[in-house]
Order: sequence, then structure tokens, then C-alpha cells
Amino acid sequence: MNDDTLILYYYDDGLTDEQRKQVESALAADSELAARFSALRKQLDAVAELEPLELPPHARQRMHDSIDRIARPVLADTRRPARTFSLMSFTWGAAVTAALAIGIGIGVFLSAPDVTPLAGSGDPFTRGMQVYLQDARREISTLPADATAERTRLIMRIVDQNRLFERAAEQNDSENLARVLRAFEPILLRLAAEDIAPDDAAALRAQLAFELGAMLTKLSRDSSKEIQTT
Amino acid sequence: MHSRLKLILTLMTLAATAGSFAQSESSQSADAREELKLAALEALITAPADRALPLVTRVLAGNNSDEVKSRALFILSQIDDPQAQTQLLDVARQSSGELREEAIRMIGIGGDPATLAQLTGLYTSGDAEVRDAVLEAYLIAGDSDAIFQIATAADNEEDFSAAVEMLAAMGANDELRMLREKVGLSESLIEAYAISGDIESLRALARDGSDPEQQENAIDGLMIAGDDEGLLQLYRATDDVELKRKLLEALSTTSSDTLLELIDEALADDQ
Repeated sequence: MNDDTLILYYYDDGLTDEQRKQVESALAADSELAARFSALRKQLDAVAELEPLELPPHARQRMHDSIDRIARPVLADTRRPARTFSLMSFTWGAAVTAALAIGIGIGVFLSAPDVTPLAGSGDPFTRGMQVYLQDARREISTLPADATAERTRLIMRIVDQNRLFERAAEQNDSENLARVLRAFEPILLRLAAEDIAPDDAAALRAQLAFELGAMLTKLSRDSSKEIQTT
Repeated sequence: MHSRLKLILTLMTLAATAGSFAQSESSQSADAREELKLAALEALITAPADRALPLVTRVLAGNNSDEVKSRALFILSQIDDPQAQTQLLDVARQSSGELREEAIRMIGIGGDPATLAQLTGLYTSGDAEVRDAVLEAYLIAGDSDAIFQIATAADNEEDFSAAVEMLAAMGANDELRMLREKVGLSESLIEAYAISGDIESLRALARDGSDPEQQENAIDGLMIAGDDEGLLQLYRATDDVELKRKLLEALSTTSSDTLLELIDEALADDQ
């Protein structure tokens, strides 16, 4: 019996009642066939859970690889979040972010209607960074409490933005800022794990909120100093 | 809030509270005091190094929660003073668990070359969590050479793979290629080429049929890297039917347009 018949059987589609009974009899009598169907059913169940995404095929493949890795249990120690994070996810996001020029990315941030550059901010890079830090802190504070695929999606979007600004910091010779942003990514990836315990997620969110806030305060101080000295 | 006012509030709060919260007669709840300390620490980032350092030191030495101490470590990472780096290293060496790993992370954020160099000793003597934290610190600092040294010194596959994956995440293609010359090719190294997008290395390996398993890993790598052009070139260059089948499988996951083109060619060959 070929996979096509088993797929039709799984979807309860395209087979007559008699054909369905034949499949049922064959599955009951043939353990090898039953095992094959079981494996096929798992794959089809997984496919049914995937959400449609508008991405090029190769980017989609990378994203699926990334999600697979994130979905793996990473909490070897249940008392606190493990340090392990998905390295693969460093690469798939690049497929999306590589298309964005950094200047354009910052421009988009500054022109967004729901963000407010801080008073006294300095150059466009600093203003863009301040807005990003503000925005990221707000987004993290409003993430859904439960670990869901939607929360993972939102966090991965922050990861993309974070990469964009990390690269911007590197290009603006702001090495300290680039390192801090780079340090956010492993935390974000741990937070993106769907099997993370609520307490662990809350701790990571608090940590990010603090570090984002502190950097925002530092940037404000630096840019107001700059303005005072010019 | 005006930054000067914020700073004064911070200094007053920390001076009044660091180290003696357990004995406080304050009517505020412990949670509220904790929140206040965190807010004060956040604002401390605007203080000059000579004012901030003693306060952070007191917080770290005092009877405070790990959360408060972790936040103090972050502030320490942003203080431009060699004493701050020394303190971070002391905490990394003398503490345990989460606080120790946070101190290592903060050394990465601080990015001071001399302090980063000290992490190698911690890596050698530490457990798996410390080793992961050290690798992460080097990633944060962008110190691919330090990770390369760890990979070359690794005496087991697990440590080697972890270091190689970190190099891949950093896109450290030069170091990954040097590793091949130094310690030889392995499956984890081929996977790293895929993650770092080193298509040139993968294409060369995929063309080399002397080791079928290695060739197959390289084809998988090209697939992960999304290099349908490389897969297509290889498909057209080879007469090996089995290899063509593997390449066709790989291409089926990368580009439907290319796949259709190849299917069309394959069917035309049969006619």
C-alpha cells in the first residue's frame, strides 16, 4: 500500500467506504505498515500545525530548522533557564534582516507613529537607538504571559530588530552598545523557547527590562552631555 | 525625571539601604524595597565611575538577592574603570551558580581584552555551565580568536562542537577554515560552514567524492545554507546517478523553480 493511499486515509478524503475498510484491515494485520502510517501521521500532524508564512522557500526552510531547534527542550536544569540557546536562529533571521539597509531601518523606527524620541537626543543613530530600546522594552513588557507560538513569533521579531541595531552600532563605532545588544540575543532566544517555565520567563523579562532601561538612561545622559558641550 | 535629580535619589537610596535591608524597620514590603533598589541601580548608570563603584561594591557585598546583585553586575560592566573589571572577575571566580555566570556574561559585555583573557582559565577549570557562559561571553565580545583557541584545545567532541557552533554563529569563516587545517574535517565543522554561510567551503567539499558521507554532509550543508545555485551546478556537473538523486532531494527543499527545471531536464533525458 503506497503513501498516497495512507495520506488520503489520514485526511479521510478520496477513499470509498470499502477502500477505507481495506486500509483499516491492512493496518491491523501488518505491523510494518502500521508503523509506517504512525510515522506519516506524526509528520502530517506537524504540517497541520504550521502557520502559513510569506517567505521565500529557502528562508522558510531555515525558519523551520530554527523553530525545530527552539522547540527542543533546552531546560536541562528546571530551577532556572539553561544557558543553551538556538544558534541556528542566528542565521535564519539574517535572511530577513539582510534585505534591510541600516539607515532605512533606523529611519523607519524614527518615523513610526507610536514611538517618541527622547527630548534632547543627539544624532540620528542615537535617536534611532533610543527609540529601539524604548520600543523593545515596551514590547517585552507586553508579551503574552503564556509561552505560545505567538509569543515566540513576537520575540523573534525583536531579535531581528536587535540584530539590525547591533549592526548599526558596529558601523557607528559604538562597540560597547554593540556588545550589549549582542548580549540581549541569547536571553531573547531563551525567552522564545515554548517550554520555558513561567517563573523563568518572568525572570528573563525582568532582566531584559532592566538592561534595556539602563542603556536607555545611559544613552540619554550621553546625548544630553553631547548637546551641552556643543 | 531630570538626570541630576535621579542621580541624587539613587545615591541617597543606595547609601541608605545597601547591606542592611534585613534589619530594616521600614514599613515598606520587601518587594517594594527590592523594586526601589532595582530602580536606584538603573539610575546609577548615569553616575561618574568614582561615585558609582563604591555603591555597587556595597550592593554586591551586602545581604541582597541574586537579582539585585545581577543588576549591580550589569552596572559594573558599564563602569569605565579597571577596578570594575577586577570586581567582575572576582565574582566570576568566587561566586557560584547564576551569579557566577552573570559575572562571566558581564565580562563579555565589558569587552576589556585583559579581563576576557582571564576567562580561559575559568573555562578550563569550570563545569559545563561555566564553559557555556565563557563561550557566550566571547561571542558577546566578538572575540572569535579566543573561541578558536578553545576549539583547538578541546579534548572531546562535545566541547569542540560547542566552540565550533559559536564560531559559526559569529560568522567566523576564517577561523572555521583554519580549524579544518589544524584538526581536520568533522561533521560538526561542515554543519558550522552551513550555519556561517561558508558556501565556498561547502561547494568544494560537495564536489569531492572521495568520502561519500562527507560529501553528503556537505550537500546537506548547502541545502541549509540555501545555496540552490551550488547544488544546481553540482547536479549538472556530475554523471553519478546516486549523487544526482541526493542533489535532487536537496534541491526539493530549496527552490521549486530550480527543481521544476531539473525535473524537466531529467524527463527530457529519458526520451
